[in-house]
Amino acid sequence: MYAMLFESVSKRFVMGHDRARSFQDLMLRTLRPGSHTPREILWALKDVSFMIERGEAVAIVGRNGSGKSTCLKLMTRILTPTQGSVDIQGRVAGLLELGAGFHPELTGRENIYLNGALMGLSRREIAHRFDEIVAFAELERFVDAQVKFYSSGMTMRLGFSIAICVNPDILLIDEVLAVGDQSFQEKCLERIEQVRANGVTIIFVSHALETVRALCERVIWLDQGQLREDGACDVVVDDYVAAVHAHEEVAVE
Amino acid sequence: MRGLLLERSDQQRTATTLFDRVAEVIHRRELLGVLVSRDLKLRYKNSVLGFLWSLINPLLLMIVFTIVFTIMIPDLHVPNFPVFVLCGVLPWNFFSTAIISSIPSISGNGHLIKKVYFPLEVLPLSTLLAHLVNFLLAFIVLIGMIVAFGIPLTVNLLWLPLVILTQLLFTGGVALVLSTTNVFYRDTGVIMEVLMQAWFFLTPVFYPLELLPEMTVVRGIELPVQRMVYILNPMASIIASYRAILYGSTLGSPPHAPALDFFARTLVTAALAFIVGLWIFNRYRERFAEEV
Repeated sequence: MYAMLFESVSKRFVMGHDRARSFQDLMLRTLRPGSHTPREILWALKDVSFMIERGEAVAIVGRNGSGKSTCLKLMTRILTPTQGSVDIQGRVAGLLELGAGFHPELTGRENIYLNGALMGLSRREIAHRFDEIVAFAELERFVDAQVKFYSSGMTMRLGFSIAICVNPDILLIDEVLAVGDQSFQEKCLERIEQVRANGVTIIFVSHALETVRALCERVIWLDQGQLREDGACDVVVDDYVAAVHAHEEVAVE
Repeated sequence: MRGLLLERSDQQRTATTLFDRVAEVIHRRELLGVLVSRDLKLRYKNSVLGFLWSLINPLLLMIVFTIVFTIMIPDLHVPNFPVFVLCGVLPWNFFSTAIISSIPSISGNGHLIKKVYFPLEVLPLSTLLAHLVNFLLAFIVLIGMIVAFGIPLTVNLLWLPLVILTQLLFTGGVALVLSTTNVFYRDTGVIMEVLMQAWFFLTPVFYPLELLPEMTVVRGIELPVQRMVYILNPMASIIASYRAILYGSTLGSPPHAPALDFFARTLVTAALAFIVGLWIFNRYRERFAEEV
């Protein structure tokens, strides 16, 4: 049984699109036609297919602009593919831009309920996990303070804690382990390992290749929106590293 | 959880999903509740008197219109004028504040929309429901006024939930369309503030509809003014229904049930507005995360 199925997925963005952004703009344009710049089309993903089995830990690597973020956003259903189909089985929790869903004027407690509800939990489920979330984030003393008074580390911790405590079937991790102090990072990794052992599918996007090696058994390498290589972690990471070095040498010459 | 299979054809997508959308929103009603309470908390967080402040506007309007139309222009002859006005001003305020504050509900929540998937319809709808809570609380004041002026509270009050539902459907439809529009054209709010003002004066809020002529000749064309207001402006019919069940008629007769055929037409119009709103929202929903 698969957790995630991408079938020849392509995603197109229209860049620098010279469209009217307001009715005022629209009026002015109709009065003064002519200045029409051509639309620039960017295929962030081109015909990408893969299947991720339930319980797998997969990393997605690639250089900046290779389509990793687009891929993650398709996995959370935030974006929909231009062509092809994405099929997701189970609840997805994303650690994308941790804490971005927090409202600064609300307290930690209120934000936990808000974020939990956004991720699809019922009030009762959140109440059931509330203590666990707060304890993991080490925020017992501050739950009833407004989030605007939190430090960025506290916000990140709370965000991570909520995402990991909602018991997702699929956990998406995007470059977020770089935040927080050393001990919290270790605690997060430990928790991810534990969640993984419980059969949760993990999809990890990172430039930190050491963490990739430690965490994942399979790696998908995206290059300019296309699937370059998909296979066992060590093999793909080695190829990827070699390609990056080759590219750097070319750039130096 | 259901898998999501997206086809290329737009037609196929909307055809299969409009019903799904409603089901998904109902399924996520707890989220709707959390968002409503977030709205209310944020609005009243900084002032304990928050709710009382929200009453000041309609009460002030009531006083001003009463002064204007009973002292300054004393030939309207509408009995219990303050109650008459408040029956129009409260629903109107609910309508206009809900619309104006739902317009940026998508464009202003980009940080949520780009982070986590949820049925985006809940954003404008939760704004609408938060204003409903306010409206219902304000009703307590209206009931107090009705009693104070000696107007009987009749069995026709049982119509109230149905009239409120009609208003919710119509307002929801408009809010869904305008919140969509604002994602692509960011001055929708500014334009609507002006249009709302015009709409307010064109709706019998502070004057009785009976005051309007049945027929007026404008540049040789005969216009059935009264009928046109009812047909073109669902808010006129909705306010007339509130007046019928809470206030009665301007001739001084007690509250009565709204005419059945008239009310049925209004309800159908409102439901259609809601369906059209959902359809338009759904048509553009997939582009929201890219545009906000």
